[in-house]
Amino acid sequence: MKAIRGVLLTCDSAVKQILLTINEREGNSFIIEDLDDHHLVIKADEEYRVRKELEAELEKNTYSLEG
Amino acid sequence: MPGASRDGTIDGAEEDPPHTLLPFLQSQSQNTLTRLYQRPSACLSMFRLLPPLDRQLVMNLLWLESAVPAGTMGAWVTRQGRKLYDEALLNLSRLHILPNPSVKLSLNGMFKTSLRQAVTGGGNNGSFGTAALKDDKHPPVSIEVLDTYAVERWETILHYMVSSGTGQLPTKPSPGVLFLLQRSGLMSTVHGSALQITSAGFQFLLHSPHDQLWQLLLQYLHMAEEREMDLVEILSFLFMLSTMELGKEYSIESLSVTQKAMLEDLRDYGLIWQRRTQSRRFSPTRLATTLTSLLPPLPTATSSGAGSQDQGFIVLETNYRLYAYTDNPLQTAVLNLFVSLKYRFPNLVVGSITRESVRKALANGITADQIISYLSTHAHPQMRKNKPLIPVTVQDQVRLWELERNRLKSEEGYLYTAFASQADYEYVLNYAKQLNVVLWENPAKRCFFGNLEGHGNIRGFIERRTGGQA
Amino acid sequence: MDQPSHISVILDLSPSQWHLSSLPQNPYPLSLKSFLAQVLAFLNLHIASKHENTLAIFGAFPGKSVMLYSSTDPASDSSDSGSPNIYRPFEIVDSRVVTRIEEELESIDDSQEEAPIGLVGALTKALCYINRIKHPTPSTQSNGTTVEDPATLPDPRILILSVSPDLSTSYIPIMNSIFSAQKLKIIIDVCKIYGPDTVFLEQAAHLTGGSYVYLERRDALLQHLVMSHLPSPALRKLMAVPTQDKIDFRAACFCHKNIVDVGFVCSVCLSIFCRPVAVCTTCRTKFPMSTLRRLDAYLPRAAKQANGTAKTSAPPTPTATGLPSTPR
Repeated sequence: MKAIRGVLLTCDSAVKQILLTINEREGNSFIIEDLDDHHLVIKADEEYRVRKELEAELEKNTYSLEG
Repeated sequence: MPGASRDGTIDGAEEDPPHTLLPFLQSQSQNTLTRLYQRPSACLSMFRLLPPLDRQLVMNLLWLESAVPAGTMGAWVTRQGRKLYDEALLNLSRLHILPNPSVKLSLNGMFKTSLRQAVTGGGNNGSFGTAALKDDKHPPVSIEVLDTYAVERWETILHYMVSSGTGQLPTKPSPGVLFLLQRSGLMSTVHGSALQITSAGFQFLLHSPHDQLWQLLLQYLHMAEEREMDLVEILSFLFMLSTMELGKEYSIESLSVTQKAMLEDLRDYGLIWQRRTQSRRFSPTRLATTLTSLLPPLPTATSSGAGSQDQGFIVLETNYRLYAYTDNPLQTAVLNLFVSLKYRFPNLVVGSITRESVRKALANGITADQIISYLSTHAHPQMRKNKPLIPVTVQDQVRLWELERNRLKSEEGYLYTAFASQADYEYVLNYAKQLNVVLWENPAKRCFFGNLEGHGNIRGFIERRTGGQA
Repeated sequence: MDQPSHISVILDLSPSQWHLSSLPQNPYPLSLKSFLAQVLAFLNLHIASKHENTLAIFGAFPGKSVMLYSSTDPASDSSDSGSPNIYRPFEIVDSRVVTRIEEELESIDDSQEEAPIGLVGALTKALCYINRIKHPTPSTQSNGTTVEDPATLPDPRILILSVSPDLSTSYIPIMNSIFSAQKLKIIIDVCKIYGPDTVFLEQAAHLTGGSYVYLERRDALLQHLVMSHLPSPALRKLMAVPTQDKIDFRAACFCHKNIVDVGFVCSVCLSIFCRPVAVCTTCRTKFPMSTLRRLDAYLPRAAKQANGTAKTSAPPTPTATGLPSTPR
């Protein structure tokens, strides 16, 4: 058996798909293991950057009146 | 008053959270508490801090000379009250007011004597403070002066917090206060720079003044413990202040050395007023005399003294527009934490709650519930006619914005995988479950995810096992 | 649930009854002095429970009723500096109440001593007082900055500490007070300290959801007060208070003020009479002669009972339990 250090991400499936896309775009740079529809394990030191990327991705899909 | 409790959850309407001080007192030794109970004023103030059912129990037992069998008292409890009753007994026994409540109910002797004395008068321990003799040259200051003073002191602290990091330079509170703010984690310095407000600090700003005050005092008590000051002296002084009369002058003669040393700190927080630093007398302010009342009567006047914005000043419309009738820079600054302000008039600030402004607040560590509870506590009397008070659209949207930020939860740990057999997997998984460290598992894939704390144990467990086999 | 509460206490201060109560041949003699000491401790506990709790005390004296203390009054006597050994609000209540009672008792001369007790007056004053604090007038709103929301002033209570027997003449005013109390959602608690049970106060407690306690162990007055009358209505849901298991529902007739077991009720205004009448004295409705004749058949028995002793063993009948509405 082996133990791999990482960060467990719990999210909805939409967010998971976005994360997969980002991962693919960057050439599998951070995902260690795709567990199931709602869980992913990623490299521990990448979490902050991934969150930023996700934020930017989600931000593209929001519109506000105040703009 | 329902509202956000300390951990940011909305509490049930019928059950108020216990007072902040009680857990601290419960953690004290029996010896400390018994010494505290020697003072009638301390017993009286503590009695006030207790939840209502606890108070009733204490009163039921107060005038009895002998112990009551637990069953006799329990017979009065209705089915509905059973849970609260058991909690009350536990609570009282932790405070050493009611030792061994499982068999016989009888109050702590010292507590009983002191509380009886407080209620009926008498004794000569002077625990309610010695009034200062009349001074013909200086009549006691008026209540207005005391209020203005208390508010000024208090708002200085809050204003300093809220404007840290915005580039403005408001009046600095005293070093003692700054140290306290830093110790309580409300503000911190990042490698030697000026003090910055923390996310705990932002949450702090949205609490009621009463909660804020106790939060700081609690920190003060913790610090006193470290400084090896006598906690009993400090607590009994605070309790004594809370039983004093607003607008009266008291003499410092009867205070102990520790208590005299506290005068300076309490002056900085705005709890007491003194004519000069070396004065032999002091007057408690409204902040001090309302310490043990749960509905927080703010020191009423604000900086302008116009008196209109004391209670509610915020009007919020369904279109996210917010009108705040205030000229108080502190209130404006607090609003600025989660509202994007548009116009400012002499007595009115207009802004709107936007996604950006709320996200900024959330990023600062403020929760949606805190925003909503702040808006409802400070709603303008005109708005109180609305039901519900805060437009549902706004409430829901603020909550949605918060949820949106939390679409991703993360927890660091270890993924355990590639087990040799199903039995192996289950064996380790069982152990990890006993430690309560499993965050995710999948028997089909034969892997699970455990948190960081469990790793050392699990590794040791596996090593011991493989070692045993080898 | 932890909200401030208000109690208006009505003290029955009939000198003659208190004299009787303190006589040593009673099972548990209780003098006015020790009564007051215990009541004051009780009141102090009420103030002690919460900073915002309010209190009003009314005294019922022979022939008059007086407000002895209210916590909304601005404290007038700031002259004395206060003792360091007692909580200031306690000191104020205690000294005020005691001095006021002494003043009032001294001003009673012998001619007044036998006058009926002014319990109804005190009750009415208490109701008016609560009504006032529940609905603050615009003037109090403008100078006090907090706008009092009537919904936040929860469940005011009236506590009557009674030693005098029922006055049958006060039946109608007491009933009217009960109805006002119901309307204002005020609970009336009664503690009967000396003398026989009073029918009217039993009804007052029952109809307003309060508790009626007949104090047998008068040496345990304070304990009874604390356990039965101090808990707020919200707290009473969690810890039961004693209630009356049987209530005497008898009414007093409007014509002779007798307490009746069976009465005759006007079908229009519900006034109660101890014997059939041709014309209702309250609403002036004329009754047909045929009905009167039929009712007269009952009269011998009814009249006998009405004129008999107040305590008859007959259980209250529905005709007599009817709750008359306010006579116009």
